Amino acid sequence: MSTFWSTFYRRISVDNPSPLLKQMPTTIGFGVAVALALTISSIVVAQPVSLAGGSTVIVLATGLAFYFTKDGRETRWDLAVPILSLLGIALLRHATGGTTSLFSGLIILPVVWIAAEDGRRWIIVSVAGTSAALMLSHVLDWRLPQNEGEWLRGLFTPFVFGIAAAVINELSRQARVRAETNAALAQELEGLLEDARANEVRLKSQDRLMRSIWDAVTEQSVIGTDVTGLIDVWNPGAAVMLGSTEHETQYKRYITDFHLDEELENRARELDYPAGATVLNPGFSALVEAARLGRAEIREWTLVRHDGSQVSASIAVTPRLGDDGSTTGYLFVGTDVTQALEVSRLKDEFVGLISHELRTPLSSILGYLELMRDDEESPLSVEQLQYLGVAERNAHRLLRLVGDLLFTAQVTSGKFPLDLGPANLGEILGASIDTARPGAEAGEVELVLELPEQPLVIRADSLRVGQACDNLISNAIKFTPRGGTVTVSLSSTADDALVTVRDTGLGIPAAELDQLYARFFRASTATRNAVPGVGLGLTITKAIVTAHEGELDVESEEGVGTAFIMSLPR
Amino acid sequence: MTTVVIADDDPDIRMLVAIAVKRAGLELLHSAADGIEAWTALSEHRPDLAVLDVSMPGHSGLDLCRKLRADAAFGSTTIVLLTAGVDQQSHEAGTVAGADYFLSKPFSPKELGDRLAQIAGARA
Repeated sequence: MSTFWSTFYRRISVDNPSPLLKQMPTTIGFGVAVALALTISSIVVAQPVSLAGGSTVIVLATGLAFYFTKDGRETRWDLAVPILSLLGIALLRHATGGTTSLFSGLIILPVVWIAAEDGRRWIIVSVAGTSAALMLSHVLDWRLPQNEGEWLRGLFTPFVFGIAAAVINELSRQARVRAETNAALAQELEGLLEDARANEVRLKSQDRLMRSIWDAVTEQSVIGTDVTGLIDVWNPGAAVMLGSTEHETQYKRYITDFHLDEELENRARELDYPAGATVLNPGFSALVEAARLGRAEIREWTLVRHDGSQVSASIAVTPRLGDDGSTTGYLFVGTDVTQALEVSRLKDEFVGLISHELRTPLSSILGYLELMRDDEESPLSVEQLQYLGVAERNAHRLLRLVGDLLFTAQVTSGKFPLDLGPANLGEILGASIDTARPGAEAGEVELVLELPEQPLVIRADSLRVGQACDNLISNAIKFTPRGGTVTVSLSSTADDALVTVRDTGLGIPAAELDQLYARFFRASTATRNAVPGVGLGLTITKAIVTAHEGELDVESEEGVGTAFIMSLPR
Repeated sequence: MTTVVIADDDPDIRMLVAIAVKRAGLELLHSAADGIEAWTALSEHRPDLAVLDVSMPGHSGLDLCRKLRADAAFGSTTIVLLTAGVDQQSHEAGTVAGADYFLSKPFSPKELGDRLAQIAGARA
């Protein structure tokens, strides 16, 4: 029974059933009552007009309920239905004996509807409606209650109905609150689900991106291990480089399996691990030494491929960190440098070959020319000596060129040792001027050297700095027409020594200034005016200055002249 | 008189060195065209002075240097290495191999002769 009532309240108050459905109990109850009144003889229908009127009102109310149901709009006017029903039931009650009527109980049915509405005021409305319905027979009969019993019935019944209405109202309210809470919870849950779905989509797309990046890295090996060196990450690049698949290595092999034992041992020795117990696996420890100490390290290692062949790789080792910041393993990202090493080796070999193959014939040429010149038994004529001088000068030029080529090769391969010591710049410039003087005189260019009173001595490679000065001065002379001047001056700032070589020559077009130091670059003014050279001098000079951590600046105006300023740190 | 064996695979340079040796007033015992011939001549003559090219087929000048230094019979042989290389490294390699002097090409025959005479003088 209680289940029935709770379902009834729920349906009435929460589920918001249609007005027609809410009206049904009243209509059916009324119908049954009318049927009983007409069929059972002991029930006396004293007022047939009221019965007809009551039935009409109920039919009207039911029709109205039907209308509101059909209309579907939310409105409080549908409460006209239970109120009309109360009137109908009151008329039925009047028709079947007024206060003594069997059907007074029907009143509860519309009252339930009214009482279940949201708000306490509907309790009042229910009580008022009940009282009105009970009092209607007295009004229609136009007589006051005759005795105490009738008075009490008129007051007590509404009182009881009022309590019932209050209970219904409260239960409905509670049900409504519960329903609202449930609805809010359901909405919250829906929101969470929505977020979770969005997260999943994002994670999936990130995963796809990671996957595609992962698969795209085929030129570099990416290998991950735990702290013991057991491999748990093995990318396609590692498979390409080392010839083993992810399936063959993951959780099966150790990173050290792919390294040369002796290399790891050497490194461990270099790191000077204390012999014995403290380092369990010296090879692996040596491999991750820097990463273990929190530094990233890139080092060249020899790796052993699946088939036993070797590959030189430059490997960056970094630690993998857990949520708490502790090291959970290591990542090894390797680049195959076998080819790069081979290229470098070939280049060195080529440089060596050139060095030998070009210098040897030049040695012969110069040696035999000298023998001929110095032959005391059959001295040469003045003319012959002159020709020989030309040959010798050109052989020397070739020799210098070979030297320059070798030097640039050394510079580009990074093999450019400086022999640092005290370098007296005044003396070096003096020597360079002496070397350049014959050329200047032949070209009718005036050479001026301006030195400070105090000697300027810096820490540098005297030979190389001399070579740089030679280059700048001989360049200046070459690019200066007859009658011009080349001024070489030495000065200093607090930090630098400055060598300035200024000419009154052809100048360099502004657009070409930034290409000056490129190998084999020749200014258009040089080619136009048929100035000899191959374009290595400035490259070499720049390299020498850079190796000394100095700077080489140029100021030039086409047709006016050029100044090279070499600044070397003091 | 100071005896000399020279070795260089380039015939022109070999002749140039031979001229320098003669001008220095030294006695040239043999001119070898490669490392193997040089080793045979050195073993046979045990000269006072060996003037060797660094890069030769057979044994290189550095190899010969090491072989000479490993053999007590050549204890009194002065070794002069000739090289067309320019870098510091080859110089060091020559010193490590046990050469006494290290001269670089190209050289002036007159200067080479003077230098050899000086070296021979230093031995005496």
